[in-house]
Amino acid sequence: MTRRLVAMIRKELAQLLRDVPLVLVLLWAFGGSIYVHGHGVSTEIFNYPVVILDLSRSPASREFVARLHAPYFKIVGFARNDRDVVEALDLARASLAVVIPPDFERLVRSGQGSVQVISDGTLSTSAAIAGAHLATITDAYNQYLLAERGQPAPRLSRVDARVRVAYNPNETSAWFSSVLELLNMTTEVSILLTAAALVREKERGTLDQLLVTPLRPAELFAAKIAPTIIVVVPLSLLALLAIIRGAFHTPIQGSLVLFYAVTVVYVFTIAGLGLTIAVLVKNVAQAMMLLVLILFPMLFLSGARNPAETMEPWMRYVSLVSPMRYYIDFGYQVLFKGNGIAYVWKDLVGILGIGGLMFWFAVVRFRHAFHR
Amino acid sequence: MASPALAILVKETRELVRDPLYLGLALVIPVVLMVLFGYGLSADVKHVRVAVLDHDRSPWSRQYIDAYIHSEYFDFMGLVRDEHEADEWLRSGHARAVIDIPPSFARDLAGRGAAAVGVTVDGAFPTFAEIIEGYVNAVNAQFNQQFLPATAAGAPVTLDISVWYNPALESKNFIVPGMLVLLMQIFPAMLGALLITREKESGTIFTLYASPASRADILFGKAVPYVVVTILDYLIIFAMSIWLFEVRFIGSFWVLSAAAVLYAVCTVGVGLLISAFARTQLAAMLIAVLGTVTPAFNLSGFIAPVASQDLVGRIAGSLIPATYFMEVSRGTYLKGLGFEVYWRNLLALAAYATVVYSLAWWRLRKRIG
Repeated sequence: MTRRLVAMIRKELAQLLRDVPLVLVLLWAFGGSIYVHGHGVSTEIFNYPVVILDLSRSPASREFVARLHAPYFKIVGFARNDRDVVEALDLARASLAVVIPPDFERLVRSGQGSVQVISDGTLSTSAAIAGAHLATITDAYNQYLLAERGQPAPRLSRVDARVRVAYNPNETSAWFSSVLELLNMTTEVSILLTAAALVREKERGTLDQLLVTPLRPAELFAAKIAPTIIVVVPLSLLALLAIIRGAFHTPIQGSLVLFYAVTVVYVFTIAGLGLTIAVLVKNVAQAMMLLVLILFPMLFLSGARNPAETMEPWMRYVSLVSPMRYYIDFGYQVLFKGNGIAYVWKDLVGILGIGGLMFWFAVVRFRHAFHR
Repeated sequence: MASPALAILVKETRELVRDPLYLGLALVIPVVLMVLFGYGLSADVKHVRVAVLDHDRSPWSRQYIDAYIHSEYFDFMGLVRDEHEADEWLRSGHARAVIDIPPSFARDLAGRGAAAVGVTVDGAFPTFAEIIEGYVNAVNAQFNQQFLPATAAGAPVTLDISVWYNPALESKNFIVPGMLVLLMQIFPAMLGALLITREKESGTIFTLYASPASRADILFGKAVPYVVVTILDYLIIFAMSIWLFEVRFIGSFWVLSAAAVLYAVCTVGVGLLISAFARTQLAAMLIAVLGTVTPAFNLSGFIAPVASQDLVGRIAGSLIPATYFMEVSRGTYLKGLGFEVYWRNLLALAAYATVVYSLAWWRLRKRIG
């Protein structure tokens, strides 16, 4: 039994690695894609694009403008008139416009300075956060003005909340985005590779040939899953070491052995899901559609950007059947927090449970359809 | 070119219509995803689990804690005994923020008039951490308000903020027009990618090669049915956005539709291009998912303003058609802008389509030769 299994796995692997465009895509998935996402997709409101219309052109206005800088803001241009401002906002070159009135300096001195801010509310979340940053900057500017005049802010009781961000003190988005992309790619590639490997045989009719061989359904499925694990896991390790740790200097806090032990189980589970899809459809195009219907909600309900407990209750319940939810939670806990098995065993149970169920379902369905 | 192109068109249309699963999913998937994302992607994060480490245990500290308990954003998980337990709760995710009130809290507040609390936030989710930070500051500011004198001391500079385009800052107003762009990308790119590859794999491509159909006939005949289905998807999603999600739409329907048609031609074209290059359906599927759908989600400006991305992100964004259509979609829905602004985007989409189909055309010849 082992011999025919090994022979089948070798055939699958050879078929996979011979497909040059496919190999290139796999390299892109675990190389370029992770790099681009880590590099280019910022999760925070960094470099929020601002356009300035300074009608005052005074030291006071320049002082204010100088405070709008990285990391939160990026001044993308200085407008000459209202029309420039409107155009910058309309064309989305800037998401925030700061208009400083002509008599700003005088008004500031009399304590009545006002800056007009126009915010593009299209991306409402970003707009709200950028507004908060701007308020903080203005507050600091006021403190500075009052202190400069030797009249410190009226002494009021106040509590200062000093926020410290654990595990990612500078909120470096490259750490987060690259790791998330790695977990996404592991999921997407595993499900697609495995589903396609089985459907293809169905479509070409070679499945019937396989069925007359001594290969049992469980063996056939194992042979379809094994190459996915053999290809995905090393690529993931390479991406983690070379790009996530190498290029982005993400501190990997937890045990790599634990991470990859569970990743193997996870790839098995996702591959099982791919097989289930393959068993249910007739051709690759149908498989693709079903994949979309399953993969996208899964990506969406994974709790990747906000933890699962903040989802709407109905979504939280739906997400319980998504293996990705457990893997994301597991991945963050191990890679970012350095948690051990004592913390992540529930995730492992979730992944294993769903994986076992999927594999069993695929085998039963398959037997029902082809074996009598 | 009329008759062979037409023949292929008829054949592709029949294939599409005859398979109920195929056409059904093509029209049902966008609706399902739209409902899921539209209702689910609420950007207002609530239920932030917060725990408190109260070293002070004074009336003041209890009042401060109350401010969090009564905030609609936080779920109060309880008091922790010591730093060790606080760390434990953060680690396990039982709490996402821990507030550390120092022993001198009440004394400082009464004596110096100023006290500090330490807040530790779970940074595994940076965006979420930032949101929590904002909530903490809001609750804190609310707590401080009781100390303000009746007549507020004038700050030298105040901000006069007005919000354009989406005054109530409702997240559905940016998510739904964004979803329109994404959903119009998923179906055509993925199915288009299989169109020619399928024939390659099954060998029927040689029948096509041997037929009098020219390369342009093949591309035309294969693209048109899918473009039509994508446009149907567009109309369905648009109707849902207006009547189901009640997103305000103040721009020109015709400009949006013109852009949508061009965009549909582009996305089907991208699918065909992948199809012309990939040898197997497996490779085609992967390229379609990784090369079109994922970037459309991350790089088109769906989540963050394109202008804030760095050079790598912006170059990658400019290579996908979704970026150009995203501007038109959000712009027509929310900004009410029309042809005078978006002729550039229409032009860009048209140019994009030309390039994509030319490349596919060129690639197809190599296969024949």
